[in-house]
Amino acid sequence: MPVRRLQIWAVSALPCRVIRAMIRFENVTKVYDQTARPALDDVSLEIDRGEFAFLVGASGSGKSTFLRLVLKEDRASSGAVYVAGQNVAKISSWRVPRLRRGIGVVFQDFRLLPQKSVFANVAFAMQVIGKSRSVIRDTVPEVLKTVGLEGKENRLPHELSGGEQQRVAIARAVVNRPGILLADEPTGNLDPTTSMGIMGVLDKINQNGTTVVMATHDDDIVNEMRKRVVELRNGIVIRDEAKALYTSMIPVVGQSRRLRDASGRDESQPPASGERNPGVGEEQR
Amino acid sequence: MRIAFVLGEIGSGLRRNVSMVVSVILVTFVSLTFVGAAGMLQLQINQMKGYWYDKVQVAIFLCSDGSTAAGCATGPVTPEQQDNLQTLLESPAVAQYVNDFQFESKEDAYKHFKEQFSNSPIVDSVTPDQLPSSFRINMKDPEKYQIISETFSSQPGVETVIDQRQLLERLFSAMNAASLVAVSIAGVMIICAILLIATTIRLSAFSRRRETGIMRLVGASKIVIQLPFILEGVIAAVIGAALASGTLWAVAHFFLGEYLSKQYPDTAFISPGQTLILAPALLILGGSLAGISSLLTLRRYLKV
Repeated sequence: MPVRRLQIWAVSALPCRVIRAMIRFENVTKVYDQTARPALDDVSLEIDRGEFAFLVGASGSGKSTFLRLVLKEDRASSGAVYVAGQNVAKISSWRVPRLRRGIGVVFQDFRLLPQKSVFANVAFAMQVIGKSRSVIRDTVPEVLKTVGLEGKENRLPHELSGGEQQRVAIARAVVNRPGILLADEPTGNLDPTTSMGIMGVLDKINQNGTTVVMATHDDDIVNEMRKRVVELRNGIVIRDEAKALYTSMIPVVGQSRRLRDASGRDESQPPASGERNPGVGEEQR
Repeated sequence: MRIAFVLGEIGSGLRRNVSMVVSVILVTFVSLTFVGAAGMLQLQINQMKGYWYDKVQVAIFLCSDGSTAAGCATGPVTPEQQDNLQTLLESPAVAQYVNDFQFESKEDAYKHFKEQFSNSPIVDSVTPDQLPSSFRINMKDPEKYQIISETFSSQPGVETVIDQRQLLERLFSAMNAASLVAVSIAGVMIICAILLIATTIRLSAFSRRRETGIMRLVGASKIVIQLPFILEGVIAAVIGAALASGTLWAVAHFFLGEYLSKQYPDTAFISPGQTLILAPALLILGGSLAGISSLLTLRRYLKV
């Protein structure tokens, strides 16, 4: 039972004293370029264990910077970032891999290894941290089942649809049972129906106890899920609402689009691709 | 599992980069051959110095059976003549120039000869009787050779007085110059090798940036990420070093052993086996050069 195991891991991997906040930002400022405005400006934020949070905002609002700081890909210019109770600035460089083992990451462009099969792509994440062959043989099929890819173990990435590729990427991100899953626009390249399928997988993982933080532009999904929404603009948190919509400013737009997509009959225009694509290049690392 | 994984990564890296790997092998091969050639010249110099070279400067050879020198008209040296010579060496007139002297009997001479010419066919045709006994003198000032020569040349029982250094020093300085040239060429080639290894590793890291990016994200340790790249360079360099060692052995075997030693039977040459003591040094040198240059390259081009 993958569900049971995931829960047990999430609990046992944490320090004895209970830390409620899985991710905590304390007055975090990140400046890339002294002459420009900061990418993140005095952000204070807590994301609790087991929570599902959306990070929304325009391109350049600081979403990706937020995720990079959690992963210790960058160092905060000031303030402190805590992950599972640990100040990441105090983690020595040789311990960073251990921090990253506790965090799964999913990207818009999937980042699968094209010459490896589905099974091998997921197994790769276990091989490189030294898991034994037998553990890999047992775990990978379980995780593939969780993300709904049973029977596709031997396919190559280019033989899969975009949604299936993203499922492989999610499987790879969670196969080592991280306490946190970061998703950077995971549905950015997918159509609405496929996106909802992906959201189902992320929701399932979240229900197994993994904290999920998802940066997105996809208003339909945010509105559908009704989870916590943190909105960033120019590096500042302008909204942090539980069970919120994509935007509280012009609810009509979001609502109407949601209804349209839910009915599944909107053939006149591709869903919001015109809005999303300009941001893609900037958001990618 | 992790070892198997690292090995698999190395294999795929070497396969993807064949042309670069071959060039690394060839450059390290050539550069280390020059390093080895310098080493071989030094070995050869040591071989030619023989037993006495570093200990004494002047040898007084005493008459033996076949001697034809003027002082040997009375035949081989007699014990009295030998005693007289020793007394003369100890007399104040001579002793002021002499640090120390030793007597080398025919048997000693044969022993040292056998050591020095162990690689030469001549050793089998020589018996102790054919070798002269001698006084070996360590001078306080080697420039005062003339005084010893004048004093002893005319003594009965003395075949000849030889300043060994003068004979060999010109040859040695030529060989030292040659090994200096070899070392300088080797230096330039080693710089080439280091730069080439760095470029190769950089390309390799670039062509596998997807894999390494994923490895980083899922929390692979620095060692697991970097080791395949470093070992790739090290393996190529070690193959180059092995080829260089093989070449040196071949030179010693075919050129020195089969050709030169027949042309100059009275010269002591190094044996092919002796060149093999250079092999571990070359392997370590090649491996560590590659390891260090790949490590430095990765530090810049492979974020971990």
